[in-house]
Amino acid sequence: MDYLATKYLKTKKIPSTACSGCGLGQVHKKVLLAIDELGLATGDIVWGTGIGCSGRQTFNTWQGDNFAGTHGRVYAIATGLRLALPPEKKIVLTVGDGDAFGIGLLHLLHSVRRNVDMTVVVADNFGYQSTGGQYGYTTPSGSVTDSSPYGMQDPNWVQDGRDILDILRAAGAGFLARHTSVEGQNAVESIKKAIQFKGFSLVHIAYPCITNFAGKALGSRKPVVAYRWLKERTNPAPDQAIDGITFRTGIYHQATAGRPEFSEQMRNFTAAVRKEGQHETNGNIG
Amino acid sequence: MKRIFETGNAAITEAAIFAGCKVFAGYPITPATEIAENMSRRLPQVDGYYVQAEDELSAMHICIGASLGGLKAMTSTSGPGYILFADPYGWALGSEIPVVVVNAQRVGPVSGITGAPGQGEFYLSRYPTHGGNFESIVLAPNSVQEAFALTVEAFYLAERFRMPVTVLADQIVTDGWETLLIPETPAEIEAMGLRVQPRRINYGPEFYPATDEIDVPPVVLGHNTGAACSDWTPTAEGFDTEEIEWQHKHAHRLIYKVRNHKELITRYEEIDTADNPEVILVAYGSPSRVLKSAVKAAREQGLKVGGIRLVSIWPFPDEAFGRSAKYLSVELNYDGQLVREVQRAAPKDSDIHFLGRCGELPKVAELVAAARDLINGQPLASIKWQREAW
Ligand code: SF4
Repeated sequence: MDYLATKYLKTKKIPSTACSGCGLGQVHKKVLLAIDELGLATGDIVWGTGIGCSGRQTFNTWQGDNFAGTHGRVYAIATGLRLALPPEKKIVLTVGDGDAFGIGLLHLLHSVRRNVDMTVVVADNFGYQSTGGQYGYTTPSGSVTDSSPYGMQDPNWVQDGRDILDILRAAGAGFLARHTSVEGQNAVESIKKAIQFKGFSLVHIAYPCITNFAGKALGSRKPVVAYRWLKERTNPAPDQAIDGITFRTGIYHQATAGRPEFSEQMRNFTAAVRKEGQHETNGNIG
Repeated sequence: MKRIFETGNAAITEAAIFAGCKVFAGYPITPATEIAENMSRRLPQVDGYYVQAEDELSAMHICIGASLGGLKAMTSTSGPGYILFADPYGWALGSEIPVVVVNAQRVGPVSGITGAPGQGEFYLSRYPTHGGNFESIVLAPNSVQEAFALTVEAFYLAERFRMPVTVLADQIVTDGWETLLIPETPAEIEAMGLRVQPRRINYGPEFYPATDEIDVPPVVLGHNTGAACSDWTPTAEGFDTEEIEWQHKHAHRLIYKVRNHKELITRYEEIDTADNPEVILVAYGSPSRVLKSAVKAAREQGLKVGGIRLVSIWPFPDEAFGRSAKYLSVELNYDGQLVREVQRAAPKDSDIHFLGRCGELPKVAELVAAARDLINGQPLASIKWQREAW
């Protein structure tokens, strides 16, 4: 991480306050590798984060401009920001699963519908971990957590025929991928494609929470247990069958013909209204 | 000078455009919907953007995002939507991002009556978010023309104080039709006392000074200054911190940047108060127009009655209530909101009374009768559940 850290991160926020052994660093490293391999500089990207472990660990680590939004609202902030920023400026948001697939899902869906040019990296630790380990929208069913002492019975977004990526695809997302933090270059390549994608893109990356999820649902706080658990379930080959909970990784969907991007469409619309001479002068002295 | 016959909603729209607003994100709600509709027509004409949001949370967050990117932004709503701003309002307050918020108050609680005037968000506008440790700025127009002027002023104050500013209107002001004068020349703008503050950019690295200083440019992202902005307690450089000392500095700043520059915000109008009237009627927004007529009518009947009309609501203009008198707070609600602040601000030997209506304005004769009763030491002829003395 050293080279990437010096190049892109604020030294004041290193090391992060994440628990030791946490997989979050692996996710962020993949994002930095993707940025680096694309040859992007800090000035090319505005970085946003939300709440929870992924928000708190990432905020203001980026040397360039950055922001953190409250629980689930970062997609709406980014929508407004997109209108103000030059089109070539990239918006990268690293958020948690609770933020994206729970409290913020409405705003996320509408960013997809509008095709706002942003890249959302969902760092998924299988629940609410910064608040102590409650179940969330990707917690494997049956998992024991602080708020599911008898095993999680609330249907999630990733099992029993449901896949949150299906929903995002149906809403019009142009680029969607899923990976786990134990993967290597294939995950970096997906993030690179997501960042390059003009329009809404999202990469869902599962990573192990050692302190809470591993401690309770997997029964051990040894990082090796959590990493093995995740690795055994990481399935980058579609024809390979893995019983139980699996993470089919790779690009889930990449649109061939791009939909019009939100801010571009807004600019074109405004220009067309002005050109058509519908411009009235009442009240406008500017 | 352009002279048109328009609604308060139209006046607010034109004022926003006059002030340089480039983004409006909103969610339709009666009686503020027309502002959104007008914005959808007007903004593209001036290179601006209208976004119809999925809800009020999104509406104000989109405005915040646009403002964070350097564009002036406004949203509008009514009570049920204003409460949903509580989340983004806090973000904008804590992060010191300018946004203008219009609330066309209607009858509550909750959905209440959609198309009738109320004044139920007096306190909500003081505490529009959770967590405390801040002051808010709220302006309350009582006419179409004033809706124009105060919306322009709201943009001005939002920029200078780096914070969201509420225009607390009511349905009569936003839906009412009146003559609206829109200035066209610098001389006319000056004559109307309109002030426009262009957006400045904080090139950092300081996020803010931990003092009461105003005119600190807001954080604008996209200039590669390493600027950071979040809802967490910030250090001077914008890093998030858990240290109480920084929270103290931050809270101090959010409170005192407003309190210590109150003279830039406070506006009120005294009506016939020079001779220390026995009864002083108090109101803001549309009831204050009845108040003016009532003072005139009472004087014609030989009653020593005056009035105070609040134009700025928060920070509360305590200084307007220096006289000992019998105060009668006239409000469009039944629970009495403004009256409690009058009670707090007025000298201890004052008598504080309340007259509430909702969904409709009180009548001039009713206010004159109430003033006469107070002068004569008679109990107010009030409906049973309406408390007269505070
Ligand atoms: S609580 Fe879990 S996810 Fe959060 S920092 Fe600690 S190990 Fe990582």
